Amino acid sequence: MNRMSRPSIWTVLKWVLAVSIAAIALFPIWWMINVVFAVPGEPVSLNPRLFPTSIPAGIEKIRLIFTETDYLRAYGISLLYAVLTIAGVLIIGSLAAFEFALFDFPGRRPLFGVVMLSLMVPTAVTIIPTYLLTSQLGWLNTMQGLVVPGLASAFGLFMLMQFMRAIPSDMIEAARLDGASHFQIYWHVALPLCRNALVTLAILTFMQTWGNYMWPLIVSSRPEMYTVGQVVGLFNSPLSHQTVDTVMTANLLAAIPPLVFFLIFQRKIVAGIAMSGTKG
Amino acid sequence: MTLRRYLPHYLMIAPFIILFAMFFLYPILSGLYYSFHAWNGVRPPEFIGLTNYQKIIASRDFATAMRNLLTYVAITVPAGILVALGLALLVDNFTGRWANFFRNAYFMPVVLPAFLAATIWRWIYAPNFGLLNMMLGWFGLPSVNFLNDTGTMLYALVAVDVWVSAGFNMVIILAGLKNIPTELYEAARLDGASKGQQIVHITIPMLGPVLFFVVTYGLISAMQVFDKPWLLTGSSFTTYGGRRNALLFPVMDMMGRAFGGVRFGEAAAYGFILTVAIMVLTAAMFALRGWRGRK
Amino acid sequence: MRTLNKLRAGIAGVVALAAIGSAGIAAAEDVKLQYWVYSDFAQGDALALQQEFIKEFTAKHPGVSIEIVGKGDDDLTAGQVAGAASRQLPDVFMNAQSVGAQLVDVGALDNLYTKWMALPEDYRAQFDADALKGCMPKPDELYCLPYTGFGSLLFRNLTVLEKAGIDASTPPATWDEWLAQMKKVKEAGMYAIPDDTLVFNSVAEIYATSGGNDSWGFDWANRKTRIDPAIMTKVLQKFVDMKELNSSTSRNDQATKDLFISNQLAFHNIGPWVNPTYADAAKTSGLKYDFVLIPGDTPGKTGGIRSYEMIGVAPGPHADLAFEFATYVTEKGQMARWAKLLSRYNANAAAMADPDVSALPLIKVSVEAAHGAMDVAAPYFISSVPSCYNSTVTDIASATADGEYTPEAGAKEMITQLNDCLAR
Repeated sequence: MNRMSRPSIWTVLKWVLAVSIAAIALFPIWWMINVVFAVPGEPVSLNPRLFPTSIPAGIEKIRLIFTETDYLRAYGISLLYAVLTIAGVLIIGSLAAFEFALFDFPGRRPLFGVVMLSLMVPTAVTIIPTYLLTSQLGWLNTMQGLVVPGLASAFGLFMLMQFMRAIPSDMIEAARLDGASHFQIYWHVALPLCRNALVTLAILTFMQTWGNYMWPLIVSSRPEMYTVGQVVGLFNSPLSHQTVDTVMTANLLAAIPPLVFFLIFQRKIVAGIAMSGTKG
Repeated sequence: MTLRRYLPHYLMIAPFIILFAMFFLYPILSGLYYSFHAWNGVRPPEFIGLTNYQKIIASRDFATAMRNLLTYVAITVPAGILVALGLALLVDNFTGRWANFFRNAYFMPVVLPAFLAATIWRWIYAPNFGLLNMMLGWFGLPSVNFLNDTGTMLYALVAVDVWVSAGFNMVIILAGLKNIPTELYEAARLDGASKGQQIVHITIPMLGPVLFFVVTYGLISAMQVFDKPWLLTGSSFTTYGGRRNALLFPVMDMMGRAFGGVRFGEAAAYGFILTVAIMVLTAAMFALRGWRGRK
Repeated sequence: MRTLNKLRAGIAGVVALAAIGSAGIAAAEDVKLQYWVYSDFAQGDALALQQEFIKEFTAKHPGVSIEIVGKGDDDLTAGQVAGAASRQLPDVFMNAQSVGAQLVDVGALDNLYTKWMALPEDYRAQFDADALKGCMPKPDELYCLPYTGFGSLLFRNLTVLEKAGIDASTPPATWDEWLAQMKKVKEAGMYAIPDDTLVFNSVAEIYATSGGNDSWGFDWANRKTRIDPAIMTKVLQKFVDMKELNSSTSRNDQATKDLFISNQLAFHNIGPWVNPTYADAAKTSGLKYDFVLIPGDTPGKTGGIRSYEMIGVAPGPHADLAFEFATYVTEKGQMARWAKLLSRYNANAAAMADPDVSALPLIKVSVEAAHGAMDVAAPYFISSVPSCYNSTVTDIASATADGEYTPEAGAKEMITQLNDCLAR
């Protein structure tokens, strides 16, 4: 009897815990949606807004923002910025991580040490010199100016290395004995094995790029190169005449692509994780 | 001979190293150069030796910022990791669609751009009628002015921080959890180990490298905290840090000196002081790992 | 066009040469000016009107086109500072006078004095004298044309006042009267005023109820604050008096606006930019409010601050054309249309005197408010204000309100710390 009831208490507890944490995680987002879909001029922090009160008012605000700003173009720019950055970070980072994690060669330790040190230097130190360099290359207000300076991601390298370390060395030896070239080992053995890590890094890079504010702000100063963050910045000025619900709408629109991106790609992560589980 | 042998390795790391040298190493070194100069970004830099460093260390704001930072890091890193680990273990207990649902729900805040999270929480924290204070009101508790009461401001920031970053760390930890061979648990179960024992003796040790990564990265990024306190306090380049500088952090002070005061040399020096602090902490982390590894 | 950009970027290092080279051909070739403004100038009706100005100007200048670019407050400064470092400055741009010194320091602002003096007398006479003085750190230096601006107003929630039994038909004439009203509001269970110790500008607004321009701002020659200890003591006492009456939210917080809209807050001292929010609320939730001058210590004296946005011109090959454009948009005809469209005050006194404009209630009060108000951080364009300055003022005002200092000790401590801060 006692033995029967114990797991059920644990089950109840775990469900209650899981659901209430989900509520804490999701309610603020739901609440923001409710602020957008409400008539302007209603107080925002008062009344816990549990439901949207006026769908047409929200749609009107979204329409207003799309007509008043180049939000669609900014979506395009931000998306391209993110996709190119992800591609670059994954390729360049995994190549380097493969070497740093699995092989030894002269200079490996000092090189890796220097890369890790750079993680500890706050961006604010380097932002102006990097900006001046980008400007000397003639890359201001260009896509390469946005993307290229961020490709050598020390964070990505660090993360991929942690995963690649787990690859057994006899697996690599076996491949070598089968006559695989160095690059083939990377491509056919190492990459498939750290697929989860790659997908996770892709998502994290997407979030980081999408939310990146300071770099686009100074490097793409012209409106035709504005990213979503910058367009939102136009509404976020504390002394502007914009009312708060319009500001929230601009913010909400910025959050939609990453939400969609995540919901699409989470299937991939699940698949990847399941696969490695059976192999492991 | 040796070059031929190692050439494939160097070719593979070349793209990374070249880009890294151009866009990280060079700016860092020139930042270091500027830190010994009075420089506004335009006029030729003027060498002033250690003056920038002395000026910063003597300034009132620096002491406040460092004090705030140490308290903040000491709270937010452990809190964030514990919550993330808890979430990962919790999600790991579900299967199929519910596991997906909870994982996605917990990850959702990470997906929001940082400026959005801060904006939402500013309203949730509003005194008297903000969501949180209203809930306190249901229990008959008095209103707390979370973002203006110097006693609560730091904790208010930590809560937002954990809300935003727990999902991020959870995903990384989950990926690590899934990599633990199930045979280990089966063997433990056959030996009669309880769930708690399995967590302590299998999960945590096997998660070692992943946890180390999460903690180290969490530490490094916490030391560079900027956008959340900046937005929570409604800061601008001319005024920042919130009431009585209770949410003033080094990077905020550095940005203010750079763009508000146009003193890029001083800002760079500030950055290197902070870098040294981060390096010391990280070195301590690695040393701790090495020591534990030997044990 | 993109190639042109790349070209420009490519020669950035030898800009001096380029300047000489392209100045000669500027007249013959197509010129594209970059015009940076605050983001709300580049949205909706405001943008449409700005584009009309641009169209009128370019019609008279064949071959010239002007691109208007909106940016948020801090982004404007960061963009201009970064642009100065890479010599990619916008040709003509807005910003606040209070960051003028930094922009002069990085060479983003041209001294316009000779060009200005070459303009006809009746053009120069259009501008508000005080606003113009803000652009001139020395008699022969002029770094901007004053553009838009504000004087702080006191928004009053009439429903709250009525509930508290206050006759709202005449605004409070003096500080004492106002404080008495605030106390009554509190007794009736509502909040009187935001916590004005939280934001530098709101501390300044209250300081101005006792002090004025001669005892505020900076003595740059000696790098000392001009704040007067006796006046500051009096002002800190006011913060102590308001401690129990305020809503503990800052005047900029959304929560403050929410309290006002939902009839929980009686007074909100702030600039005219909250008016659209309150006008919306009047329509949807029946908010009853008005805006009056912030009363000072004696009848006739007003509190509050004034501040102007400027329009500046970057040195470079197109500086003359950019200056001409700046004089065009700040001219009476344009500024009157601007004021009429948006009910916003600006620095063109002739435009403000236009009967159609001065009939607008928000402008009418704003003109009076700006007239009696205190410059928030004058004198401008001389030296950049260290970040410790503003935070010292708010910190000690807060600490005194919390009871950590007596008003007298607080004022003394504040002035010592401010002088320390400026001396470095």
